[in-house]
Formats: sequence, C-alpha cells, structure tokens
Amino acid sequence: MSDLVTLKIDGIEVSVPAGTMIIEAANKIGREIPVFCYHSKLSTVGVCRVCLVKVGTPGFDRATRQPILDVAGNPVIRFFPKPMPACSTPVSAGMEVITESKESLADRQAILEFLLTSHPLDCPVCDKGGECPLQDLTYAHGRGESRFEYQRKHTSPKKIPLGDLIVLDTERCIICTRCIRFQDEIAGDHVLAIENRGRDAKVVSYTEPKFDSKYSGNTTDICPVGALTSRDFRFKDMNKPGVRIWELTNVPSISNYCNMGSNLVLGTHVGEIRRVMPRQNELVNEIWLTNKTRFGHHFHSSSHRLTAPLIKENGKFKQATWEDALSLIATKFHEAGEHIGGIAGPHLSNEDLYLFQKLFREVLNSNNIDHRICLNSAIDDDLAYEIGVGIGTDIGQLAENSAIFLLGSDLDEEASMLYLRVRGAVRRGCHLINANGRYTKLDTVANTKLRYNYGSAVHLVLGMTATILDEGLEDKNFVYARLEGIDKLKTKLQAYTPEKVADITGIDADIIRQAARDFAKAENGIILYGAEAGNDTALHASIRNLALITGHVGKKDNGVTAILPHCNSRGAADLGVIPHRLPGYHPVADEIGMSAKEMLQPNHGLQAMYIVAADIVGEVVTCKSAIETTDFVVVQDLFMTETAKLADVVLPAKAIAERDGSYTNLERRVQVYDPAILSPTPTCWADWHIITAIAGRLGAEWTHASADGVMQEITEQVSLYKHMSFENLTKPISLERKRQHYIYSGMSFTADVREGVQWATRAENQASFFELKFIEPENDMPQSDIILVAPRVAYDGGMLISQAEILANLIQQPKATLSPSVAQRLSLSKGDTVQLTSSVGSVALPIAIDGKLPDNVVLTPRNLAGSVAEQLLDGHNIFIGVKIVH
Amino acid sequence: MWSEKEQRELEKMLPQYNTKRSAVLSALYLAQQEKNWLDDDDIKAVADALDLTVTDVHSVIGFYTLFRKEPTGKYIIQFCTDLPCALRGATKFYHELAEQLGLPPEGGTTDDNMFTLEEVVCIAACNNAPCCQINLDYHENLTHEEMSNILSKLRAKSEKESTTQP
Ligand code: SF4
Ligand code: FES
Ligand code: FES
Repeated sequence: MSDLVTLKIDGIEVSVPAGTMIIEAANKIGREIPVFCYHSKLSTVGVCRVCLVKVGTPGFDRATRQPILDVAGNPVIRFFPKPMPACSTPVSAGMEVITESKESLADRQAILEFLLTSHPLDCPVCDKGGECPLQDLTYAHGRGESRFEYQRKHTSPKKIPLGDLIVLDTERCIICTRCIRFQDEIAGDHVLAIENRGRDAKVVSYTEPKFDSKYSGNTTDICPVGALTSRDFRFKDMNKPGVRIWELTNVPSISNYCNMGSNLVLGTHVGEIRRVMPRQNELVNEIWLTNKTRFGHHFHSSSHRLTAPLIKENGKFKQATWEDALSLIATKFHEAGEHIGGIAGPHLSNEDLYLFQKLFREVLNSNNIDHRICLNSAIDDDLAYEIGVGIGTDIGQLAENSAIFLLGSDLDEEASMLYLRVRGAVRRGCHLINANGRYTKLDTVANTKLRYNYGSAVHLVLGMTATILDEGLEDKNFVYARLEGIDKLKTKLQAYTPEKVADITGIDADIIRQAARDFAKAENGIILYGAEAGNDTALHASIRNLALITGHVGKKDNGVTAILPHCNSRGAADLGVIPHRLPGYHPVADEIGMSAKEMLQPNHGLQAMYIVAADIVGEVVTCKSAIETTDFVVVQDLFMTETAKLADVVLPAKAIAERDGSYTNLERRVQVYDPAILSPTPTCWADWHIITAIAGRLGAEWTHASADGVMQEITEQVSLYKHMSFENLTKPISLERKRQHYIYSGMSFTADVREGVQWATRAENQASFFELKFIEPENDMPQSDIILVAPRVAYDGGMLISQAEILANLIQQPKATLSPSVAQRLSLSKGDTVQLTSSVGSVALPIAIDGKLPDNVVLTPRNLAGSVAEQLLDGHNIFIGVKIVH
Repeated sequence: MWSEKEQRELEKMLPQYNTKRSAVLSALYLAQQEKNWLDDDDIKAVADALDLTVTDVHSVIGFYTLFRKEPTGKYIIQFCTDLPCALRGATKFYHELAEQLGLPPEGGTTDDNMFTLEEVVCIAACNNAPCCQINLDYHENLTHEEMSNILSKLRAKSEKESTTQP
C-alpha cells in the first residue's frame, strides 16, 4: 500500500493513498464534483474543465523552509490564484480543497456556457434526455443557455451512423474523448479517434466496417451527452413510437448470452423490452455489456415464437391443449421405460436443470441426461469443484502481484466480458501468459505469448510443471500440508522436461521455463483454459497439478476456470445434468447413463427423447437421423427450431425475461434474474413448470409453485448450493460497497444492484487434502500438415441471436480462413472456394485470408449456419487434420 | 504513393523508434512526398506498415495541417489572416492574392494545379505580417511585388523540374 496523504476537502479531513486525484478523494467522503471527461474506469485527460475547484497548500517560508503558521499555530493555506481541475490534480499533504467556492461555481457556470455556445438545446428530441450529465449539470449550475451568438456547430451533421449499431450526433459532442479512451483502453479496438483540431474536432471511425467492436454499445452509456446513441433505442429512428427513458420500468436481469453472467437492466415499456443497459457488478461485468447482450434481446418479441403446444399428426403439427400434450407425453414416456433420454440446453436456469435431472433420475429412473449438446464441446469440467477460483476472486482488481495463465481460448470471442476484465488486469500490471495455437486478440497485451502446436497444450503444461518442481518453485507449505504424491509426480515428469517437450509443442525450452517461473512466483495465479487446449483427462490432470503445486488454489484470486460455452454451462454441471454425476458432483450410485454424444448416434436404441432448449440439429446437422429414428420426441423451446420440426410434441416455453430463475457463471457465481415482461401468450410456460407438470402426470407429487420454491429445494438437497436462498441471492449490495461502486453516468440506478453468491470449492476448506494425479497424455496431435480449428465465436448462428435484425450483418457466415502463404501455395484468392476433407467428412467453403494465422491452420468457427465445422470434427477435440483442395 | 521504395525507407527508419507507432509522422511524410497529398491507399499502407488502424492514422493526419487528404496544387500557400496579421492588412492582401490567382475568396487550387491558396490561423510569424507559408518555407513582410516574384520563381522551378525529368 502506498503512503497515505491527509487533506481537507470542504473542511472534512480525508486520508487517501499518495497519487490519488482530488476528485477521487472527494468521492470517498461523498462530495460530488461535476465532471464530463473524467471517468474512473478510464485514464485521465483533463480536457473539459468542468471539475475546477479551489485548491490551497500550506505556505512555506522560503528562507527557513518551514511552514508558515498563523497566531493559533495552524498552517496558513495559500490558495492557488487559479482554479485547479479536480480530476487531474493529485492530492498532497495538508492540501485544502473547496469544491463549491464562489469562484468554482462561477467557473462551472462559465464552462457550461462555453459548452453550450454551440451545443444544440434539442433535449426534447434527444435520447439522452433525462439521464444526461450535461442536462443535469446545466440544471444545477448553468444559465440554461449561452449568451454567445456563435452557433457554428448547429450546422454540424447529425445522425451519422457509426456502423450498424451506434449513431453519432457531432453537433452534441463535447469532445470529452471518453468514447475513444474506452475503445483504446478497455476494449482494445482502436476504431474511434478525434480528427482535426479545435472547433473542427470530431469523432470519426474510418475502420471498415465502421466502429467495428463487440463493445461499442458501452460508449453510448459513458458519453456524457447525447452524441452517441444506440440505434436500437433511438426513438426517432425505429419504426415504432418512441419512449422516453423515464417511462421505462427497469428490471434487474442477467445476460443469457454471457458465460460471465453479465448483470443488466431490462428497460421495459408497456410489456415490451425497449432497451438493455448494464447493471453494475464490479465482480462480474463492472459497468460494461457486450453488444451481443445489449442488442440481442429481440428474440423475446419475435413473431416466430411458439405460442401453443403442438402435436404432430400425420406429419403435420396441430395446435393442442396443454392437457392433451401432457397426457400424450406421460403415456409415451411411460411406455419407453428405461429407453428414454434427455438433453437440456445450458441456457436453462438452475431451477429448470435441477428439475430436469430430478425428473429423469427420480421419476423416469434414468441417468441418460446431458447438457453438452455440441458433440465436440463436450468439456467435462469438474476441476471447478475442487480448485475453481476462490470465493471473492476479482479479476477486475488483479494487479502486479498476480499472473493469469490463459490456455487455449480466444476470450474476445468466447468469453467477451472476461476478455475485458483480463485486459484490464494486464493494464494494472498483472502478468498474462497467453498460450494458444494461433494469434488471438489478447496477444496485443500479453506479457508472454506461447504458440503451441495444436494437440500439444498438455505437454506445455507438463513442461511448466516439471520446471517448477525442478527449480524448487512449488509452494512448499501447501505441498507439505495439503498434497500427496509429489515424489511420484516428480518421477513421472522427468520425461517432460522443457527440453523434452520443446519439440512437440514447438515452444523453446527457455521460454517454457520462464513462463513457469512467472506463474509460480506470482502471489496470485489463475489458470483459464478453453477448448483449443484440447479436452481430455490428461490435460485436466496436468492443469490440476500445476495449480496445486503452486498453491494457486482455494483462496481469493487463485484457482482455475474453464471457459465453458454458455450462460449456464456451469449450473448444468453443478446440478448433475450429466450422465455420470448427481447434483453437487457426486458420482451416480447406479449405472452411468448415456451421454449426449451416445444418444445422438444413429443406433442409440432410445424410444423417447425429451429435448429442452437445445437446437441439436441446428448446431450439428449430422445428428438429424438420430432424432428422426426415435419413436417419440418432445421438444420444448421458444422457436420452431430444426430440432423441433422433427418432434412429435412441441411445447412453448417462456423466454428469460418472462420468468424468474438463476444462472451460475464461469466463476461459480449464482445470480438471479427477475421477470420483466409477459410472454406472448399465457400458454407459454416456464421450463421448470412444464417439467413439474410432466412429472405430475407420471405420478410424482411435486409441489413447486415458483422458481424460488425450486431453488429452496436445491439449497436443501445440494450442499454446494446451500447458501443460494432467494434472500441471499437478491440481497442488494451494502451501501458502503455501493459507494465504492458508484461511477458517474451511463448507469441505470433504479434496478437493484446485487452481487450474487459463489459456492465454495473443496480447496477452500483448509482441511482438505489433494492427491496429485498424473495421466500420461495420449498422442492427440492431428497427423496432417493442415489442421482445422473450429472455435466458438461471439456472433454465431444461434437461434436467439439470429432474431435480432440489428445484429444481422455481424453474424458470421461459414468460411475457411487461411494464412496468405497457404492461399498462395494453393493459388487461392479472395472469393475462391476450397474443399476441406477430414477423416469424417468433407465440405466446400469460401475462403478468407488472415495474415495472422499460422501456416498450418485453417479456421472455421463452430455453430454457424449449416454446421459445417461440425461435419468435419470427430471425437472430443475442436481441431482435426484436414486436406485442402482448390 | 506507397511503393516498395517507401516501404524500404520506412524499414530503415524503424529501429530509431521505440515503438512502431512512433514512426507514424515520418511514415506519413514519406507517403505524402510524391503527390503532396494522401489518398486512402497511402493511409492504409501506413496503417498496415505500423500495425495501426486506419482510424488512428486519420486522426494523426487530421491533427497536422501539413498532411492533406485532398488533391492540392504543387505549392500550398497558407496565408495567415488572423487578428494580428489582419491588423497589418493581411485580409486585404489575401483577397487581392486570391483574385490575382483567379481564385474565389475562400481559396482553392489554380487550374494548372500549381498553387493551392488557403486562409489559415496564425503561423507564428505575426511580427512580420503579412506572412504566409508555402510548402515548408516561410515568406514574411510581404508586398504584392514580392509575392508575384515568389510565385513566378516557383513556376519556373516547377517547369525546370518537369523538363529535366526523364
Ligand atoms: S461522442 Fe460523447 S463520449 Fe465521445 S467525445 Fe463526444 S461527447 Fe465525449
Ligand atoms: S477536466 Fe476534469 S473532468 Fe474534465
Ligand atoms: S496571427 Fe498571423 S501569424 Fe500569428
């Protein structure tokens, strides 16, 4: 901790670390100083001058170098002749600040008048009206208008589209540069800039496509005027009547797109979602949202929603009553006996998932359930149970003494909110080791970039572990007190020294060694691992050993996190929607059930299938026949998906905003969302409600009447979740914490701010022991010159996101991305098509060229229209050797 | 125009800079040398060469008046008409100059693409007004006679250059 400095602000004494700016010190004691350009999440530039305050420091006698004292013996304060900007003046000992002196008030008024010299007073047609700092400050301090006649800016262009999502009104911009600093510092997308100087200065984006950033929506929140607005909410642009922001009802919710569980506010008006704003949670999304979350809500109001149960008769769907549908399902499920299987999507709430597994295990007596839909994303992550990140882990605060080892994930695409937070951690000095088989966006800030050959990530981890043990860098206390099997591990790792793994990984031994040291020596260490690292028990065991021997487990800011794909993948694993584990990671007592992969093989032998919120055929087209050959299929969803089309009964579910529930995020944080709107028709039911009704028809006597009720049962039945009572989950954060959270503008304050509750890992119990396990890696290296890599991307072909017209241009179309030299070798140019052939399939794809891609990789994201990548993949990895022909 | 020659020259310079980004002014200067202005291809080339986005490069160009994004004459006359200069008759001088060049009062480029006239704000030579900057050279304490001299010298220079060129 740096030294504390004591100063007086408006007569109140306050002590803050040296280097703090006056504004932050004032904030600490609740004195609000007006700002435009300052933002506590961004660097300070001091360009708007609205934060001027009167500042004085103790006078010193030049001759004696002693403080000048008055008759009473107090230091005489010499006030600076000119006002000082509070945002960029650091505090000093004995300083006195007067925030509302006569002079500062006059200065503020003058600054506001200057700003209004050419700012239009078009508040009645401005979307910012009602939550606009310029409006508020003018109300508080200003004259209301300017005496200047110089209105040059009133001729500046309005409504300039900056890309599809954001609209710029140059006339309203006050050149505070917040938007630019956000893009440069937080998002790392340098796509906005100020062009020209002085009166001609304006915000521009020349990048093609314009303002190309997954995070651009946040600039509309932090813009202190109505210069940047989102096209989604701009009331004059859309074809429905506008709504003013004070007419919105703000309901707290959680993103259904974000595996970090971004907190948000649904702004609703007469039963419709009109906008999505971030809800501050410093432990999850801070004050940011991705564009996918912000603009992807339109599926709620889509005209394609299912509105009534449907029963297929002679190949045609007929509308049915719930009564008929449920009776039919009960009869058929009963007939199927043990030949039944269930797949539930990881977008369902914890309540739905818990009851789903309960229905199968207790009512239908089957363990044939799974949530890992996409065959190749079958990460079975149970490391979280033992050594997930410690309670209270806050990547948003990680700094110099910490290291993050990111293995095999492009966070920008796969966990966008985590990308922002990891990037922020690196900015604060946290050491980032980014290991992947190809360039990813975090390489621009990573301290160490490791480029391994696909399939060899496990060797890299083993090499690092071997180094740590060899150099004696392990956490000796932890090893002594909590671990067993270290000697055995040491022996096994002799075959995996950095020299020995250098060849297979393609990474220099010294670099592996250095990475190992950096990770081991950091006070806090977090390992994030994703699907591009591979997916097998040897890899998981190696990651576990690395975390354990370095003692980076069981405490805040330490542990491992799997980059799971969906908003509630974690909850689905926690609550046992998996064939071999009961809720709470207990192994099943009886026979292990069938996995999704087994159920989706053509000869699965199942008579009935119950598929909830999972568009299996949409994601993996090759699963079609497995579903077609099942006698009786029930699909429960929001839309008539490709999978639903094959069903015998289709049940209409409620969408997230139409019901309550909870999600568990990557870091095991359970968070609730509230109902905000009504479903299109009352015949849409919440998933947990439908499952309860089916169980009832099958003779169960469940009494759940609400999602909270189900959660209540979970807290009683699943010890991991024992603290997840409705009361705990909905507890608003303390006032004190709220004050630390308080960040100027860009927020919807009216909805509850909550933090959610994390469950404790085994390592958090100080009495727990761990046995180090070594699993020999299989040779998983694709045997081919060219490797197809099929990662997940943010804008995939998912059903929900496809409903948002505003994002339509961003949805990725299937293509094969190659390096320039591969393209040259095959004499390919833009627009050409190639045939990719793997051991399981062959597809034709248009190409794209990317200079950053290694020469042995062709990139084709998963889960795009036509599920092309899935047709080439086999087994459990998302990479495979392929042949390319022109 | 950005050709291999420019690329080579830039690569020679790069080691002098701490980061690639720091070379942006020199790179733009190189790119602008030949035709006196920067087109989209030049800007893209500079951005690619320095790992910047085009938006970043545009922002630098916009900040410095010596970089241009529109075609100009061979010689750019930046004539100051700000207050101190105006007090010494610069505005009148400027308008007369525009008329002499056959240009409208807001300036522009002569038909033969030789001169571009621009009204600017303070070039820090107020004490010797009227004054102007032509490409990189300053001309101060101007009289109309001197100005005509300067212009014809430049015309002659340009002619010589074009005849000596292969
Ligand atoms: S657009 Fe808004 S945030 Fe960006 S510089 Fe202008 S006023 Fe500031
Ligand atoms: S100068 Fe301090 S907030 Fe802008
Ligand atoms: S005002 Fe003309 S050069 Fe300064």
